[in-house]
Amino acid sequence: MTKLRKKPNRQTEISTASLPDIVFLLLFFFMVSATIRPPEELLKTKLPQAESISKIDRKELIKELNVGIPKSAQFGSEPKISVENRFIELAEVAQWAVTQKESLPEALKDQMIVLLRADETVNMGLIADIQEELKKVNARKMVFRTLEE
Amino acid sequence: MKPNTIHMKSKNLNVPTINSGSMADIAFLLLIFFLVTTTIVQEKGLSLLLPPKTDEQVDVPVNERNLFKILINSQNQYLINGEVRRNLVGLKDEVEKFVMNQGANPLLSVSPEKAIVSMKANRGTEYKYFIEALDEVKAAYYGIYASRVGLNADQYLALDHSNPVQYDLYLKGKEGIPMNISIAQPD
Repeated sequence: MTKLRKKPNRQTEISTASLPDIVFLLLFFFMVSATIRPPEELLKTKLPQAESISKIDRKELIKELNVGIPKSAQFGSEPKISVENRFIELAEVAQWAVTQKESLPEALKDQMIVLLRADETVNMGLIADIQEELKKVNARKMVFRTLEE
Repeated sequence: MKPNTIHMKSKNLNVPTINSGSMADIAFLLLIFFLVTTTIVQEKGLSLLLPPKTDEQVDVPVNERNLFKILINSQNQYLINGEVRRNLVGLKDEVEKFVMNQGANPLLSVSPEKAIVSMKANRGTEYKYFIEALDEVKAAYYGIYASRVGLNADQYLALDHSNPVQYDLYLKGKEGIPMNISIAQPD
């Protein structure tokens, strides 16, 4: 007597082999489009608000300069300047601007944009001094970072 | 039959496969890490072109009528063309009228190319009030550019410069009217 062989219960599994592919694609998208910006740790910068804000087209030309009151009291309560999370003095701003310019290709050196992230309570004397330093090294394109109103 | 052919039985080669189920987990972890630490950077702000450094102060004769003076003192009060003001209501329209005067009113500018808006702060003025004033002046200029191409200021600022049609509109709006904003040394 031939036993009727039961068809074995085969559960079809969904192949998840392509799941890592999809995820890697998303990952690469984020790696390409986003930048790791280390959060501002040293200075308090409450940005002023404005309406006539223009977008900057070439992000690679932006070099950031922060001005604000130090977060930790050990550095005092006077406004200080910082770049890339380290303090610099007013006298070093010109040198910094030159170094930043050097890092750009020849044709774009004059197009460098200095993005000033300054706290709204900083007085104009310091801002004007920074502008003077930048004028000395011909880094004249400036953008004042502001929040959208 | 060719002498060199060898018939071989195809064996059922049981190739051991690596379990790739955990690859998805690793990928998700990396993805979440990147989502959390990075920001899609949107750098926007008020743009300004500083004047070149001059060793000697060369005083270019400027007709008084072509100069729109905005001064801010250390108490953060505004002095606009000799008038003390507590706030900036109406400044945008004033600047627009000043720039686009085309010689009509003898107290206002001769032409948009000659019109200069001069801003001077005090060393003790707060940055916030300077930005407010600069914002109003820029809004006035962008308003002029925008109305020349039939848009409103927000639309004009949102024009995409990499799109040739929109960039063309942007240039048409600016044409002939330079944004003459002069930032004077604070005292």
